[in-house]
Amino acid sequence: MKKVIIQISLAVILFFGLWFSLAQVNWVKIFDVEKNIDKTEQKLGNLFWKFFKNSEKENTNIQTTKTIDSIVNHLCNANKIDRKKIKVHILLKDEINAFALPNGHLIIYSGLVLNADSQEELAGVICHEIAHIELKHVMRKLIRETGISLLISITTGNGNLEVIKETAKLLSSAAFSRELEKEADMKAVDYLLNAKVNPAPFADFLYKLSEINPTIPEYLTWVSSHPESKERAKYVVEYSKQKDADYKTIISTKTWEELKNNLKE
Amino acid sequence: MIHIKKFTYLPGEHELEAASNSYLMSLLAIIVGLPLPIVNLIATFIFYLGNRKSSYFVRWHCTQALLSQLSLLVMNSYAFWWTVSIFFEDQTITNNYIAYIIVAIVFNLIEFITTIYIAVNTRKGIHVEWWLYGTLTNLICKKRI
Repeated sequence: MKKVIIQISLAVILFFGLWFSLAQVNWVKIFDVEKNIDKTEQKLGNLFWKFFKNSEKENTNIQTTKTIDSIVNHLCNANKIDRKKIKVHILLKDEINAFALPNGHLIIYSGLVLNADSQEELAGVICHEIAHIELKHVMRKLIRETGISLLISITTGNGNLEVIKETAKLLSSAAFSRELEKEADMKAVDYLLNAKVNPAPFADFLYKLSEINPTIPEYLTWVSSHPESKERAKYVVEYSKQKDADYKTIISTKTWEELKNNLKE
Repeated sequence: MIHIKKFTYLPGEHELEAASNSYLMSLLAIIVGLPLPIVNLIATFIFYLGNRKSSYFVRWHCTQALLSQLSLLVMNSYAFWWTVSIFFEDQTITNNYIAYIIVAIVFNLIEFITTIYIAVNTRKGIHVEWWLYGTLTNLICKKRI
């Protein structure tokens, strides 16, 4: 019996010892795991963007692009986020929605801009989506919802259009998990504060949209896909109260009005 | 790792064949059942049940084969579900995971080669006892009086 116990102990030590020793090697770097995941993310991002580009109408007004770019540039610079990583696209659609795609693609619908009462509200939503990108929530959501095998099959060209369509729909209209949403909200407030943008309007925006009783619910995708908006508005206010900052506007009121007018046309 | 020992009696030809088959059964099941680690255990277990009333030599080797598959089952199941969680959930590939898979592959290979070696030798009438599994088998499998 003693012999068996010694042998079992030895086997266990051998197994765990070998595992522990091998775990000290940076296999992730050796096998270029990150690079391969990045490549997959890149392919998926381009594929989904292509899908939205072909199915929706993209903004062609240079002035509108420049104004949105200045907001995004300001937010990225203030938070040391690589601006090249965030690829902003404005789509002309009445839906109040903005969402992130893999590989840093950020889609903003004109409906969202038109329904924002101030540039701070829009900046808040943009920060929330940038937070999802920076915190790598997009790929996590995709893997959780669809599985990596399906994602790989899409990138290798085996995914049919229906699969791409369904996955794209998932990205544009389904919320992240409650914890991920909260994490993105908190990060968004940090981004806003670093950029000296008042986060209160972001909370107001959440609250305001949750109060609207929409006649056409699908126009309120951003809020309907982000449940518990009131609760979120509350913790955004609570969190931002703890921080003091001098607030500034990113663009002038005139430019903001011009942006809305351009999108209305 | 393995010890060639003298068995308590000289087994007959049919016993050698049945005993050797218990190892081949697990090998075949590994090939058929990969990556599901449970298949080889089930196959070896069925073979064990079928031979539990056989002679001491056959029972002894069936038990040794079954024990070797049991340890593989634990190790491979963990590897299997870890991999599934990476592919279908939001787990990431870490150094720990890759190290575990390497260890699992090494242990599986050693087990695979040793199983072939023991199967061949058992067929020739050589009684081979595996380190640990042999000792455990001696404790579990007793000669009927």
